[in-house]
Amino acid sequence: MATEARHVQNSLKDGKWIRSTCKMCLHSCGSLIHVTDDGVINKIEGDPTNPSNNGKLCPKGNSAIMRHYDPKRFKQPLRRTNPEKGPNVDPMWEPISWDEALDLVASELKKTIEDDPRKILPSLEDFQKMNVWNWPLAFGNQNSFQSGGTMCGGAYHPVNGYIHSSFAVANDAKHCNYWVNDGTGDGFSSHLHAAAQANWVADARIKRGMRCVTIEPRLSISAAKSEEWIPIRPATDRHFALGLCHVMANEKRCDYEFLRKDTNAPYLVGPDGTFMRNEEGTIYVWDSESASAKLWNDPSLGELALEGTYSLDGKECKPAFQKFLDILEECTPEKMSEVTTVPAETIIRIAREFSEAAQIGATIEIDGRTLPLRPAGYNYYRGAQGHKHGFQTNHAFKMVNFLVGNIDAPGGLCGVTLDDQWIDKSHIIPGENGMIEPQPHQLGPLPPFAYPPTTAHLLNYFPVGLHPPHLNMLTFENPEKYGLDFKPDVMFVLHSNPLWAMQGPREKWFEFMKSMRFIAVSDIIPTETTVWADVILPSHDALESWNMTMIEPPHTEGMCLRQPAVEPLYDTKSEEDIMTELSERMGILDAYNEVINIVSGFHQKPELLLQPGRKYSDKEIAERKGLLWNDKPLDWYIEHGHSVTPRRTDKWYRPWEGLRLHFYIEDMVTLPRELRQKMEDAQVPFRDEWDFDDYQPLPTTVLDPVHSEPPEYDLYGIFFKDIQINFGESLSNPWIKDIVFRDPVHIALILNPKTAEKQGLKSGDIVRAESPHGMIFGRIGVSEGMHPDTLGVSNSLSRIKVRHEGVRHAGGHFNDLLPYDLHNTDAVTGQPETVCKVKLTKLDDWPEALKQGKSVYDLVDELKRPGKAGSH
Amino acid sequence: MARMGMVFDIRRCIGCNACVVGCKQENSLPDGVFFTRTLSEDYGVYPNAGRVYIPTLCNHCEDAPCEKVCPSGATYTREDGIVMVDDNKCIGCNSCAVACPYDQRTALGKDLFEKGLFGEGELTAFEEQGYTRFTPGTVTKCDFCSERVDAGLDPACVVTCPTDARIFGDLDDPESKPAKLIKERGGRPPMPEKNTKPKVYYVT
Repeated sequence: MATEARHVQNSLKDGKWIRSTCKMCLHSCGSLIHVTDDGVINKIEGDPTNPSNNGKLCPKGNSAIMRHYDPKRFKQPLRRTNPEKGPNVDPMWEPISWDEALDLVASELKKTIEDDPRKILPSLEDFQKMNVWNWPLAFGNQNSFQSGGTMCGGAYHPVNGYIHSSFAVANDAKHCNYWVNDGTGDGFSSHLHAAAQANWVADARIKRGMRCVTIEPRLSISAAKSEEWIPIRPATDRHFALGLCHVMANEKRCDYEFLRKDTNAPYLVGPDGTFMRNEEGTIYVWDSESASAKLWNDPSLGELALEGTYSLDGKECKPAFQKFLDILEECTPEKMSEVTTVPAETIIRIAREFSEAAQIGATIEIDGRTLPLRPAGYNYYRGAQGHKHGFQTNHAFKMVNFLVGNIDAPGGLCGVTLDDQWIDKSHIIPGENGMIEPQPHQLGPLPPFAYPPTTAHLLNYFPVGLHPPHLNMLTFENPEKYGLDFKPDVMFVLHSNPLWAMQGPREKWFEFMKSMRFIAVSDIIPTETTVWADVILPSHDALESWNMTMIEPPHTEGMCLRQPAVEPLYDTKSEEDIMTELSERMGILDAYNEVINIVSGFHQKPELLLQPGRKYSDKEIAERKGLLWNDKPLDWYIEHGHSVTPRRTDKWYRPWEGLRLHFYIEDMVTLPRELRQKMEDAQVPFRDEWDFDDYQPLPTTVLDPVHSEPPEYDLYGIFFKDIQINFGESLSNPWIKDIVFRDPVHIALILNPKTAEKQGLKSGDIVRAESPHGMIFGRIGVSEGMHPDTLGVSNSLSRIKVRHEGVRHAGGHFNDLLPYDLHNTDAVTGQPETVCKVKLTKLDDWPEALKQGKSVYDLVDELKRPGKAGSH
Repeated sequence: MARMGMVFDIRRCIGCNACVVGCKQENSLPDGVFFTRTLSEDYGVYPNAGRVYIPTLCNHCEDAPCEKVCPSGATYTREDGIVMVDDNKCIGCNSCAVACPYDQRTALGKDLFEKGLFGEGELTAFEEQGYTRFTPGTVTKCDFCSERVDAGLDPACVVTCPTDARIFGDLDDPESKPAKLIKERGGRPPMPEKNTKPKVYYVT
């Protein structure tokens, strides 16, 4: 194999570099793609000119080439010839032409829409293409079968919408000196633009001496790199946060000026939980100086009372802050310690360290503004927030930040928008009574209340919800009970793998899939879901297509262009072409164009509006999004790759200046009342099961129901990812496989060694893990980095057999262990519980079904043979 | 003449393995072959447990045991200190792999180039353009991306690292980033008891 080539290293070979945007997860990191003179993509690096990722790509971004050249990619449209369907049944694909495939899918969809559009169950999950994601709105369908919402931040996003008017949040790495991570890997291994955040956080740690504290049941990457790991019993993070709040409030370690001026904490709350208002609806506060109630905007106001009980119009009322103090009374470090297992002295110490680091009272000059400097942030995400009482849990974490006045302050917890669309657009809307307008619906409007429901996942009853797709199973199993007067039987899936990620036992979801009359799937490679399809509509990958987006960038703003590095390898189409071709055939093209106009914000510059009767390509839509952002034409973007700059500080720091934040969320008092009344009026049969108590204007200490499972389930089961397997699928990728299955945390069900001993188990034992809801199998590993109450399961062990040689199954998906009922679903947001209780049983051998075929464990054993680099 | 070396900042490394994948991309490495790896090691007892992530690659030793034992002269040291393997001379005897105390040598079996990264006996276009650099039956290792170094670039793993935990440069230049870091934070070579004089250091 001697070579005549001038260079053997790929980045130096003759070719060209193209600026583009990564899509190995949903975030939009700038990339440089090297294409050889022979047209082969042989190197992808981070684009050093793009400040949104600081020239860095995570391991997934580095492995995009292997997705592109995956031999299992769908190479042309396919039609199933085997009428039998099952998770391991060969569909016996037959290649068909694009016209045949599109005609077939469009006619099935059209027929269904004419009958009842609610019968279509969509799962569109390309988060970089909101124009495609929202396609079902073109025929008035608001069903959802996509797992992203609840497996991501079902309660996180709505609460961010309430507090920051933003989709996400991040600690401000540029000024933070005390970084708390609770159930998240931000700055180390996950979430927003992970590689860039890791870069900034590493700099802050090394150059500025930023202290990091990680609260998590397992020793995650974040925990391992932090100065302090605080192991915590799963699903008790809210109690830890309330314990911190108790200490900070008791020791007067709060930013009272911020609470008085910038929040509704001084607004008076009446006996019914709503604010005290005059006849015009203006809210009262208590003026300490005149010892009287005055309107919040009365120019004669002195210092506003935050504490105390007052009387107004014969009603007893308290400032919202006092209402919180009342709750905090019972949240002593000792009591919270009993719930969380975190020692009381640790809760006290962290509260003191955090509030001291926040430097309450300090200011900083930035771009001509004098801003509060609060260099301490309590950041959290999926692991901490994914619980039955998700809304309250997220609110509790916000409270830790509220108390030190760091919301959107330099060094504190800052709102991160999803996609600003236009450089001059503010994400803040002024609301009533001097407050910001809450924007909990960050992904668009929800369907209105209706009975019978118009959605199969009951979204009509979650007024601030994100899609709870697991509830599709409830209505499937018992349509009469939930009043479903339609049965979804046609599924359309695009870049989404619900059969992998959906919570509840796979066996049940298999039955669900079998009940579908027709399933069309658009994807790139075979997955757990594509095997159920009747028709496959193969799409281009991200190295062959156009897009323009920016997804959740902390610190930056702008637009990132995706441009084709090479011609498509196969007979595939862009997602846009697939959707517009279908829409035209279905007679909904004009409606779809209007959906794109609304979702993409083209109405802000009417010259960009898509016109009726025309089909627009991915390139044309990308061009318009670039023009919307900064009036730059596509050619400019093709050359520069992006228009990303550091975020304008007037949008990043306190963009709501002059308005008040929702410390107290009054909607949590009014919305359940309205919902209850509507349910009563419509005689909704399951209204008594609706947990109206989940709605709380301030977070409480209520325990999540997972803690009350029968005692024989003696361990908590948790699920985790790390940076190699963040967000979407990557385990089919040989480079990811090469690193993940050599990492001890990703190749076993992990127990603390003392727990293993108590259970009579040792490393290598095969076990069955059962929850009250399902079971999985696996091999035990032990680690001192695991809370003794906990069984830790990596996402790397979650695949089931798919028709892709590279994908290794393990012993079943952790999500099989999770419930899909209302009892474990947040009645506010639809967030389901993502922790379970489990019991372990030692087995002599694997069950028969898991002996066939190559499993993760077979691979792990193979890799243990010697002769591989770096074993010292 | 320069003496090229690398420093690993253990405080910065997050064990993400982006470096490993970046290297695989740059060097068209076959399945299961690594020029660099990032390992993890747990220590302590719950709740005071911890984990350290340890990047590794060929240490380009000044007294390289692999070079000493090489019977064919295939292993040699460039003037800038990079330890190289000349495929044309390598007879695949594997002595170097045995001699290397750091386990940084990998024998390239013919099967690797037949089965391919996806293990299906079909090579991707990426592999077709890349595997021509390798000679099956020889023993390979990291060469600090010597071609990139010759072109004035840092090794691929260095530019890839999200946290800038890999710092490359001339150890003989007291103003170079790695030399300064070794001095300021007390860089330590791996397994000094082996007396191999590595040109790779760790700072903690």
